[in-house]
Amino acid sequence: MGLMDQVELPQPVKYVFNWGRKYSLWCFNFGLACCAIEFIAASTSRHDFIRHGVIPFAHGPRQADLLVVSGTLTDKMAPAVKRLYEEMPEPKYVISFGSCANCGGPYWDSYSVTKGVDQIIPVDVYVPGCPPRPEALLDGIIALQHRIQNESLKDRIAGRRQDPITLGADAPLALEEGA
Amino acid sequence: MSDVLARRDRALSPEETEELLRDRLGDGLQRTVLEYGVFTVWVEQDAWVQAATLCRDEPLLAYDMFDNLFGIDAREEGFDVVAVLYSTSTGNRIALRTRCAGGRDEPTCPSITDIYRGADWMERETWDMFGVDFPGHPQIGPRILTVENFEGWPLRKDFHLASRAAKPWPGVKEPAELDEDGNVIERVPHIGDAPGPYDLDKAMAEQAQAMNPRPELDGPEDDDDADDEPAEVEAGPDDDPTVSGAEKAEARRKAQAEARAKKAAERAGGDGDEGAAQLDQDVYDQLIAEGKSERIARSKAKAAYIKAQRAKEGDA
Repeated sequence: MGLMDQVELPQPVKYVFNWGRKYSLWCFNFGLACCAIEFIAASTSRHDFIRHGVIPFAHGPRQADLLVVSGTLTDKMAPAVKRLYEEMPEPKYVISFGSCANCGGPYWDSYSVTKGVDQIIPVDVYVPGCPPRPEALLDGIIALQHRIQNESLKDRIAGRRQDPITLGADAPLALEEGA
Repeated sequence: MSDVLARRDRALSPEETEELLRDRLGDGLQRTVLEYGVFTVWVEQDAWVQAATLCRDEPLLAYDMFDNLFGIDAREEGFDVVAVLYSTSTGNRIALRTRCAGGRDEPTCPSITDIYRGADWMERETWDMFGVDFPGHPQIGPRILTVENFEGWPLRKDFHLASRAAKPWPGVKEPAELDEDGNVIERVPHIGDAPGPYDLDKAMAEQAQAMNPRPELDGPEDDDDADDEPAEVEAGPDDDPTVSGAEKAEARRKAQAEARAKKAAERAGGDGDEGAAQLDQDVYDQLIAEGKSERIARSKAKAAYIKAQRAKEGDA
């Protein structure tokens, strides 16, 4: 990426650049449990997140921009998530989809479940629910796109991340970041 | 081969199977149980391998498919190991069960991987979850289900869940909740008890409640106050040590009924402007006169009021 982590793009270029990035999120679905079914439902014709520019056919983590962790992450699986996340090129985004991925959910006291994917990788958007409806995923994707549109790529590539968005708990989308 | 391919109509009944096994195993067979359609044979630890071999090789039994193998925590007595076998020719299923030697400290059970190769990973999982060692197993470690540096045996009854030690169960109701006297509190869910968050849900729940009056056991039920009730009646006759449990319970019930009645009266008087405004007073009075409970009368009167409002709106 060369200079991109040192030089801020001029505003018009940045706008167009971010606009392009936010509508071509190649998505890598880490489906671990029932939430993955909701993810699939969100990708099919009724909800169809492809119309938002989310492309669920990344060939692997190296071709992906967005990692959706949907389902129960166990301690046994955690190293695999960590590794695949690290294989993704910057700038990369993570949506934690469902209660299990957020905090362990109903398995909060389990001996084998990681209590939240944010313990191993940084998360951009938390989508609560058990499982969340496909609409909730769409909401999370739109929140993420909103963030991408307004973010500084320089900061992102330098590894400076903004605080994660929690759907339902944070300010409504329209109020956030002065849109 | 013709021996193995027995016909299903020649399958042995549980009684015949027991007879055959007793004949071959002698005292190695402890007892048999036929429960929930599962025929379980308890065998001595020493006869475990012999029993599995017999089940596989005996032409009349021909349990040629190894189904699964797992452990059971038998509390003080140690651990049990159960192997479930299936016969593809006769269609019979059998569960062999044995108690591990070594008690709780070092439970061991001979491996049956020589007889059924499929037992390999099952025994590894049983070792992983219960700590039961299987002498004769080709390679019991490393841990197969849990992470490799995991400590403890998670399916043992005495395994402590770290999260629970730090934080109590956050759910509202334990499966078997006990009151102060140690009696199980029975909670019967009623129709319309838990409406959804929307107005439509609440209206539907109310309608459903009105159509399905709950059976009155002792005084009017009042669910929304259930949580703060025990605090109110604590100063009651509970403190008297001479009173027996049954009398105590009776007294508490009375005190609760009084508290509820008081609360209901307060509510009827207190938030009258809101509550009364949404009631059809004629219907309410009529139902009370008929001897219906206050709760039912309220909900029916409310339903009548809403109906009347709707009709009015429709006219307008």
